Amino acid sequence: MATTYASADTDAHDGKPKFWVRWFFSTNHKDIGTLYLILGLIGGLVGGFLSIMMRLELSEPGLQFFGNPHTYNMFITMHGLLMIFFMVMPIIIGGLGNWFVPLMIGAPDMAFPRMNNLSFWLLAVALVCGVISMFLPGGAGGAGFGGSWVMYPPLSTSGHPGPAFDFLIIGILAAGFSSIFGAINFITTIFNMRAPGMTMHKMPLYAWSVLVTSWLLLLSLPVLAAAMIMLFTDRTVGTGFFDPAMGGDPLMFQHLFWFFGHPEVYVMILPAFGIISHVIATFSRKPVFGYLGMAYAMVAIGVVGFVVWAHHMYTVGMDVDVKAYFLAATFVIAVPTGVKVFSWLATMWGGSIRYSIPMQWALATIFLFVIGGVTGVFLASAGLDTAAHDTYFVVAHFHYVLSMGAVFAIFSGFTYWFGKMSGYLYNKWLAGLQFWLFFIGVNLAFMPQHFLGWQGMPRRIPDYFQEYQLLNQISSYGSYMSAIGVIVFIVWVIEAFIVKRKAGDNYWGEGADTLEWTLSSPPPYHQYSKLPQIK
Amino acid sequence: MRISRLAASVGVTFAGLITTGLVTTGLAFASNKNGPTDGDLGFQRSVTPVMDAITSLNNYWLVPIMVAIVVLVTALMVYIMVRFREKANPVPSKTTHHVGLELAWTLIPVVILVILVVPSMKLLYFQDVIPESELVVKVTGDTWNWEYSYPDHEHIDPYVSSIVDIANADKFGLSHAEIIARIDARPAGEPRLDGRPYLLATDAALVVPVDTVVKVLVTANNNMHAFAVPQFGIKIDAMPGRINETWFKVHAGEEGTYYGQCSEICGINHAFMPIEVMVVSKAEFKRWAANGGSFTTQISQNTGSITQAVPVNTVQ
Amino acid sequence: MSDHAVEHDYHLVNPSPWPFLSGVATLVWGLGMVVFFAGLHPRSTENPNGMMEFLFSRGMDMFGPDKVSNGGWIFIVLGLLMGAAVMTGWWLDMIKEGEEGDHTPVVQIGMRYGMIMFLMQEVMFFVAWFWMFFEFVLFHEDRAGWNTDVLESAATYAQGYGVNAGGHAITTINPWDLPLINTLLLLLSGVTLTWAHHALIENKQKAVYWGLALTIVLGLVFTYVQGVEYVEAYGHRMTETNWLDSNIYGSTFFLATGFHGLHVIIGTIFLFVMWLRAARGNLKSDQHFGFEAAAWYWHFVDVIWLFLFTFVYVVFALN
Ligand code: HEA
Ligand code: HEA
Ligand code: CUA
Ligand SMILES: [Cu+2]
Repeated sequence: MATTYASADTDAHDGKPKFWVRWFFSTNHKDIGTLYLILGLIGGLVGGFLSIMMRLELSEPGLQFFGNPHTYNMFITMHGLLMIFFMVMPIIIGGLGNWFVPLMIGAPDMAFPRMNNLSFWLLAVALVCGVISMFLPGGAGGAGFGGSWVMYPPLSTSGHPGPAFDFLIIGILAAGFSSIFGAINFITTIFNMRAPGMTMHKMPLYAWSVLVTSWLLLLSLPVLAAAMIMLFTDRTVGTGFFDPAMGGDPLMFQHLFWFFGHPEVYVMILPAFGIISHVIATFSRKPVFGYLGMAYAMVAIGVVGFVVWAHHMYTVGMDVDVKAYFLAATFVIAVPTGVKVFSWLATMWGGSIRYSIPMQWALATIFLFVIGGVTGVFLASAGLDTAAHDTYFVVAHFHYVLSMGAVFAIFSGFTYWFGKMSGYLYNKWLAGLQFWLFFIGVNLAFMPQHFLGWQGMPRRIPDYFQEYQLLNQISSYGSYMSAIGVIVFIVWVIEAFIVKRKAGDNYWGEGADTLEWTLSSPPPYHQYSKLPQIK
Repeated sequence: MRISRLAASVGVTFAGLITTGLVTTGLAFASNKNGPTDGDLGFQRSVTPVMDAITSLNNYWLVPIMVAIVVLVTALMVYIMVRFREKANPVPSKTTHHVGLELAWTLIPVVILVILVVPSMKLLYFQDVIPESELVVKVTGDTWNWEYSYPDHEHIDPYVSSIVDIANADKFGLSHAEIIARIDARPAGEPRLDGRPYLLATDAALVVPVDTVVKVLVTANNNMHAFAVPQFGIKIDAMPGRINETWFKVHAGEEGTYYGQCSEICGINHAFMPIEVMVVSKAEFKRWAANGGSFTTQISQNTGSITQAVPVNTVQ
Repeated sequence: MSDHAVEHDYHLVNPSPWPFLSGVATLVWGLGMVVFFAGLHPRSTENPNGMMEFLFSRGMDMFGPDKVSNGGWIFIVLGLLMGAAVMTGWWLDMIKEGEEGDHTPVVQIGMRYGMIMFLMQEVMFFVAWFWMFFEFVLFHEDRAGWNTDVLESAATYAQGYGVNAGGHAITTINPWDLPLINTLLLLLSGVTLTWAHHALIENKQKAVYWGLALTIVLGLVFTYVQGVEYVEAYGHRMTETNWLDSNIYGSTFFLATGFHGLHVIIGTIFLFVMWLRAARGNLKSDQHFGFEAAAWYWHFVDVIWLFLFTFVYVVFALN
């Protein structure tokens, strides 16, 4: 079976198999990376559409678009899940990771190419399940699951009798196993397939970031899987894990969820850090400052990230000493993160800086991430979190780190490597336009939310007290602007493929010194038949 | 192209400045009334010791230090962006290490955080260690209203507090959808519902005396909810199977009505289960309690809304 | 592979239909799971004994004519069959590739890494169940303390964890009965497996064959005994009021031991494949990573059982 495909299909087009075999049966890390990017694009478009509908609803008080508030709840739920599991993760780990981790470490492919494809198809299955769930009966006479992306019981058990949430559970399980297999693949690739001479301490930072991220995924996702199964059995076969009447405890779900959930946020930001490091170094024409510190700061963030989960649960009625512990532990994370921020600045210091599009995205990422990071410190202070928890202050915090930190880094990496992946150069003017639309848009959208939060506006409400109107309006206008940015993004990608400006092997010049720049753009179907030797 | 690079740095600077400006002005001009105020940027006005402590931790510790950090990073970045742009510095240096610097930016944040931990812990323990209480109220979250009871006043019957607009739909013979339609039909500029805040007003407020340590026991019947009153600095989850507790003590002289909203998603009407707390003088509370805590409600049949929900004895 | 000379030892796998088909199988299976489970259970408070009711009064006759209309089970079975077919194909490919010399030393190291990490994620999976279990064993009194004067369901609730609820002790399974037998069975299977492994290294194919066969039989007996125990547990339920399906202990017990059981079954299948290969003389004494992976997996399942036995059975019964 195995060899038949090879002989039948691989001879034509410098070893590339024909369409169906190439895209459905793929074992090529670059093709699978491309598939991930496409899936992430779909996830981002659907998730973005949902968020714009939410902002439309919130642009004034009263219920404008969502006759049934449950539908609004479903929209925020699916927005959160899609953006996290089907936009950021597929792009920043699955897509760019698959493309560039093997290229950067000098490996011909991933360690388990077939399992790599399994990861992708499981994620596709998960997306299908998630989308199906949006149309099935959920609860309260509405379609879909509206219990927010954190899925707390009892709302997710007795509160949503319809099958929508069961589909979502299956979807999340599939997405989880997709990531677990992906994590195994990345770790093995990085441990076992570095080019001769590339020690761990010479490995590019993006590979480091994916390595740490993979460990976080590997150790946290099984816990989520177990929690999801508990929800499923509580819902269907009558177990009582989260049912107080049977001696269960809804709080336990929150522990299990956030044991996964907190590492998950670093899963999304660490690869972003990795990308930023390369972009900053390239366009400053300087090597990364404090390379080892950068690598081990990520390791530290990963390790500490496992012991801070209950800072999402300060208001659940935990013992005060427990809160005190989580307060202190959470503060600690600011230190390695600070090391990263200052090392980026030091990388730029003394450099010869070129403001290309990727560099603009990277600089904006640092600026916006620092804002999002310091608001995290507000939230970490448990007493203060009493006022901020479940208000828009939290929403502002995590959009600054996610919708700006992670998403801006995605665009930074995408513009950085676009020529390498596609072989074409993009139109700088259009790409710059997208940057400014996004930069101004998301700041307008999320800066006012800090103040809404301080003023006490709760999260997850489709209708609000009229005195919150002004700031909400600003926020909505900002979100429309970023939506236009998404459209411009699509336009410039299409334009680049139509106009076909050929990209050279190393179109960024001498600053770009990782291995992928030694290859053609796009790289050959199978690179490094002769392994590169690192001095 | 140079222009756009310059624009990049200017834009980044401006965003930083705007942030700082917004934060500081917002804190300076907090309004005097109760509840949120349009355009206000800081916390709502505090009326309890805990909220005082939260506000000062926020305004005097975290905001200045965090804004300073953001400004520092931004300023550094802008300086670097200008000083080391390609034109100004064509030949890059190759420095990649500086032990002193690396130590500094590890240790200085540590120091800052240690400084921050002290007031944070103080606030936490102040807030979480409940002082000797003078009154206990029990709050039970239900889908989608709150039930209040007074365990140490046996003759006050537990009562249910629902949002004026929605939950009373059946009282007015209107369907849920019709109520929503009515709300929507109101002129856009109208901030209040017959003088009472839209989405925040209830048909029966929680009544507590001023200047009294009130211990709140919170639980829930089915879904999770969270009992939150921003001006009191309290927010505590209402969870089936558990009783959580928190406390507040409204400053003397701060009688009035305060509002909060359910702060944990609890299903379709999560946005429609407000919390209204009526803080009355100690004497009034006594009279009210002696009377069995009954309410008088004036329902205006024409508009289909409850104009006031006040304790009987406070109506002069 | 491709035309240009390949000068490295990594294994560039040819395009393969199995991952995509696995996705399809998962989708079919998932559909079945939802349709079947969501369709069967009314999910209401009227069904306090839902789990056992499901497993034994509904579940046992899920193939009965009245359940056919639900249809979900068809998809579940179909999904599982497809999964089995895909796994067979995938494994056959791997065996073939191994024989063709694709599994160079460096590739084998990679497989070792992969298997170790797979087991680590399995460990975390069970950590979640044990976390659940310990939380409720250690802190149930706290919860009840918060609970007693509020909830109407306090009484039910208190019975839930049983032990301290006014003498309504729940009946736990006697650990020194079937569970002890199972423990011994698994320990013994570990021994027979190690025997087979040593035999393999010394290239005594006959001993490998019988060692594996014994291990598999022990695994099957374990599964059988576990089944007997479940049925017995259900029997108790009929005669005693506070049996474990009405509370969290039962939930944790069934799900934790159930997932362990599932792993036993998977491990047995894994060993069975190795046995088939051994029977064909397919396992080499110097290169048999498949065998080692199966053995690691089996030992892992063994260790999990020891934890289950110690805490879920013995310590809980002492409580
Ligand atoms: C990419 C994702 C991401 C990242 C990186 C972070 C980073 C951090 N987060 Fe955030 N967080 C989320 C995503 C993220 N978070 C999400 C999605 C939620 C909400 C989930 C939900 O409820 O739906 C959330 C919620 C959340 C909460 C719970 C709020 C609540 O619900 O009440 C808390 C509380 O502690 C918190 C804290 C932090 C902290 C301390 C960091 C730190 O890692 C930040 C560290 C960075 C810096 C501090 C800036 C740079 C450092 C310097 C320049 C050095 C100098 C600084 C100092 C000395 C302070 N986050
Ligand atoms: C990565 C995560 C992410 C991202 C990017 C976003 C992006 C946005 N989000 Fe949100 N959001 C969440 C994660 C995210 N969000 C989460 C977890 C919640 C909590 C949900 C809950 O409470 O359960 C939430 C909740 C949330 C709320 C609160 C709802 C409520 O509580 O009632 C709001 C309201 O304004 C909002 C708005 C927006 C807007 C306007 C954007 C805009 O920025 C959208 C603009 C669009 C994009 C940024 C996508 C662009 C990317 C692509 C198109 C892909 C590109 C492809 C390639 C490069 C190949 N989001
Ligand atoms: Cu009750 Cu939200
Ligand atoms: Cu967190």
